[in-house]
Amino acid sequence: MVETKPSLAVKLGKLRLEYPTLMGSGCYGSGQEFAPFANLNKIGAVVLKSVTRLPRLGNPTPRLVHTPAGMLNAIGLQNPGIDWYLDHEVPKYAKLPWRVVGSVAGFSVDDYAYVCERLAARDEIAAVELNISCPNVASEGETFACDPKLTASVVRACRATTDKTLIVKLSPNVTDIAAIALEAEGAGADALAVINTVRGMSIDAETWHPRLGNVTGGLSGPAIRPIAVLAVYEVARVATIPIVGQGGIETTRDALEFFLAGAAAVGIGTANFTDPRIPERIADELRDYLWNRNLASIGEIVGKANVGFANVYEYEGDEG
Amino acid sequence: MTTLDLPVRVHATLVTDRRELAPGVVLLGLDAPDVVAATQPGQFVMAIPPSGEAAATALGVYEAEGKRASLLFFVTGNRTRELSELRVGERLDVVGPLGNGFDLSGKPSRVAIVAGGVGIASVLLPAQALVRAGARVQLLYGARTAALLVEAERFNEAGCALALATDDGTTGYHGYVTDLLERLPRVDLILACGPTPMLRAVARIAATLGVRAQLSLEETFACGVGGCWGCVVPIVRTSAQAPRFPPANAGGSDFVNARICKEGPVFWSHELRW
Repeated sequence: MVETKPSLAVKLGKLRLEYPTLMGSGCYGSGQEFAPFANLNKIGAVVLKSVTRLPRLGNPTPRLVHTPAGMLNAIGLQNPGIDWYLDHEVPKYAKLPWRVVGSVAGFSVDDYAYVCERLAARDEIAAVELNISCPNVASEGETFACDPKLTASVVRACRATTDKTLIVKLSPNVTDIAAIALEAEGAGADALAVINTVRGMSIDAETWHPRLGNVTGGLSGPAIRPIAVLAVYEVARVATIPIVGQGGIETTRDALEFFLAGAAAVGIGTANFTDPRIPERIADELRDYLWNRNLASIGEIVGKANVGFANVYEYEGDEG
Repeated sequence: MTTLDLPVRVHATLVTDRRELAPGVVLLGLDAPDVVAATQPGQFVMAIPPSGEAAATALGVYEAEGKRASLLFFVTGNRTRELSELRVGERLDVVGPLGNGFDLSGKPSRVAIVAGGVGIASVLLPAQALVRAGARVQLLYGARTAALLVEAERFNEAGCALALATDDGTTGYHGYVTDLLERLPRVDLILACGPTPMLRAVARIAATLGVRAQLSLEETFACGVGGCWGCVVPIVRTSAQAPRFPPANAGGSDFVNARICKEGPVFWSHELRW
């Protein structure tokens, strides 16, 4: 019999999270936007929208298209640039009762290292995610995550700038995601976010025009869930650092697929657009799921559907 | 970890009445006293699909009185079809009210409201508020065809003068509703909600007439609460609604992207850079 409530706590490198859920970058603002509608006491952390060295206006509209079982987006990394961001945005995060993870995007190895160093130096930022897989910026955006050598270069350069947890967000738009994952781990990543959006497109048959202002976009939502589960499964067979599994998670059952495939934590993005209560519901139901099976912690189910599971996490009990 | 005291603004409402106003045009009445109490004219809610299988849908609050709020919408896809199939007594959860609605603070005495198609759903509340404040309100209402000019009577009852237009000439003026705006005696303020081409025409005419106009913009939303930056419109930096962002190019620029769901959906037409 389990005496205490099962623990949902998880560690990603040095980052300890009370709940194994991260709100996906670009989907949740800093959390303040959702605070009136969602219970942020029951999330692990919010991954902030990606920031770049210079300000970016982002892509022309339409930036969003609803598609069967999901949506396409092409925001184009709109952000105020790291200088303004550090002066005006980051100070607001000091008072937030939830953890925020910074997200870095760039167009060169030097960009990533520069922005990562400045962002990670701030106490408000609990950890840093490297967005090397944005599919929605002309040319370079996704190049890094599609090339094992470039992935390693970016991660190594950023690793040298900070001791904080580095999460590397991988692209599904590659032939062998496990090979990229290994490069990221070898270069010093603490965790891997698997996956970013899947490239896609939608065309209006009346106007003969692509529906997105950027022409192409990134597909998210339940439509990509099987792709994401497989990616986590494949990465978990080779990587020995924790995986944040994400892609179309809307229910506790969906989240469980990712844990069982080998994810240490899960990302929730598009589902927040369906119902902002989903992260809280998943947290409560995960605890019930473990309780009903007499399991003490979420770690006990990680990778249980993955025969070649390579991971060796540190999991904590309720006391931490 | 600090515990938050969270104001819960996701409202569980019950469908009190449902009418099909025209083929594919539905009016859903909701028992929603909290929504009624908080809604300002021109605000919207995100309606959470009962199946949980698609993104929430942004819908303007049409009526808000006593305990009853209502939503008026056209069935245009799976998400609105699901909402249209709700029956009396069933539950609909909504997030909101959200966004910045119409600014009626300038005490205008003569107001023209331009509505195109489903845009009618966002202009009853401002029309009622203006009439209550003693303004003379002229509704210019256009649609593809007569059958789609739903709820025109309702605006008559609310004390508005009416002018109708249809693309096919089946009722009222045969042509664009914005043609009627050009011929209107002088007004102090124009409010408009409808398809983007109509709003652009309103903005152009308002500039020519030298009358200030507020436009309720239409765009696909994902989050509806300002978290995703999916629904932006360029706006001049000097606007009170402009996010304080630095210029996105080295030479500087005089505009910045504002979120339609958060800073809008209603903007002053002369501040938009579209």
